[in-house]
Amino acid sequence: MWILPVMGLIIGVLIGSALTFQVPVAYVKYMSIAVLASLDSVLGGIRAIMEDLFDSTVLLTGFFANALLAALLAYLGDRLGVDLYYAAVFAFGVRLFQNLASIRHKLLLNYRHKKQRNRGEQQ
Amino acid sequence: MTRQRWAVPMTVVFMLIGILLSLQFQAQNRFASDLTMQRTENLIAMVRDLSEKRQKLAMELIDLNNKLRTQTESDRDEKKLFDSLKEELTKMRIVNGTIELKGPGLQILIDRHLPVLYIDIIHIVNELWAAGAEAISVNDCRITGSTAIFYTEDSHSMSITVDNVKLEYPIIIRAIGEPNNLEKGLTIPGGIMDNLALFNAYPVITKVDEQKIPAVRGRQQFYFASEYKPPEKPAASPAQPATKP
Repeated sequence: MWILPVMGLIIGVLIGSALTFQVPVAYVKYMSIAVLASLDSVLGGIRAIMEDLFDSTVLLTGFFANALLAALLAYLGDRLGVDLYYAAVFAFGVRLFQNLASIRHKLLLNYRHKKQRNRGEQQ
Repeated sequence: MTRQRWAVPMTVVFMLIGILLSLQFQAQNRFASDLTMQRTENLIAMVRDLSEKRQKLAMELIDLNNKLRTQTESDRDEKKLFDSLKEELTKMRIVNGTIELKGPGLQILIDRHLPVLYIDIIHIVNELWAAGAEAISVNDCRITGSTAIFYTEDSHSMSITVDNVKLEYPIIIRAIGEPNNLEKGLTIPGGIMDNLALFNAYPVITKVDEQKIPAVRGRQQFYFASEYKPPEKPAASPAQPATKP
């Protein structure tokens, strides 16, 4: 059931490397924060799937809004002389690791649960 | 956790993140290779390297410029040499009479009735040479170093010859040179004209601004003559450098 998203990832990478469009060097910083935000959204989505709380609207809006807002905030911070970039890195970084931790947690629980059930069935 | 609920949006999102990741990857690579992102030590090394290269290239440039200059100079020298050789050749041709010449000078007309002998022609020619004539012809016969002026006799007449060719009357002697000087050379008191006047011979002398003197007929061949080179002294003085031949 994870085949389709993995294929999507591979296709996306291929498209990205096939694109001749190049991000201007001046915007690489904002791009990076957008990538971080969207990565966080994706991990949040995976976590929601694990916890049976998945909502496609929340995922898609979160994906785009987080990315755009993070980039915009970083840009605004640069214009204002406040390093909001680091705030965004920190916020999304923390959330990313939290999401990762809960995904791991959930996977572990699921695995143990399955194992116990199997054992119960055998007995 | 049904598949229909999350598979499609997750796929879309994964695809987007794939695009974003690869784009960002490329961009970051470019960004990292940008000069402003290099470490100071690397930059210093690069600057040192490049300035060394630049110095080397500048030296090469100087070297090549020097070469170019020497080449140009030698080229100029060659041209100079060529020009002087050409000049020399022209001079030799004028002297040897192998080319037709033009210039200002004098014409001396001697008519049939004048009592003029071949020796008078020789005197006139000598006088003209002495007065600075650069080229002389007698009746379209160029006078050169090997011209012989003489006479022939047959049963009823005697005629003057130049290089064994009989002169037809009127004899016209042409000379290229400064006209006034040439005239003075001929009409100097006690000179050739005075001498001829004693015999009632009055050649007509005219100054001309432009006249043509023909080239010599036929080319002289040298069968026996060759350049004489003095034998080299076997004991060259030690002060002379050995490189000189």
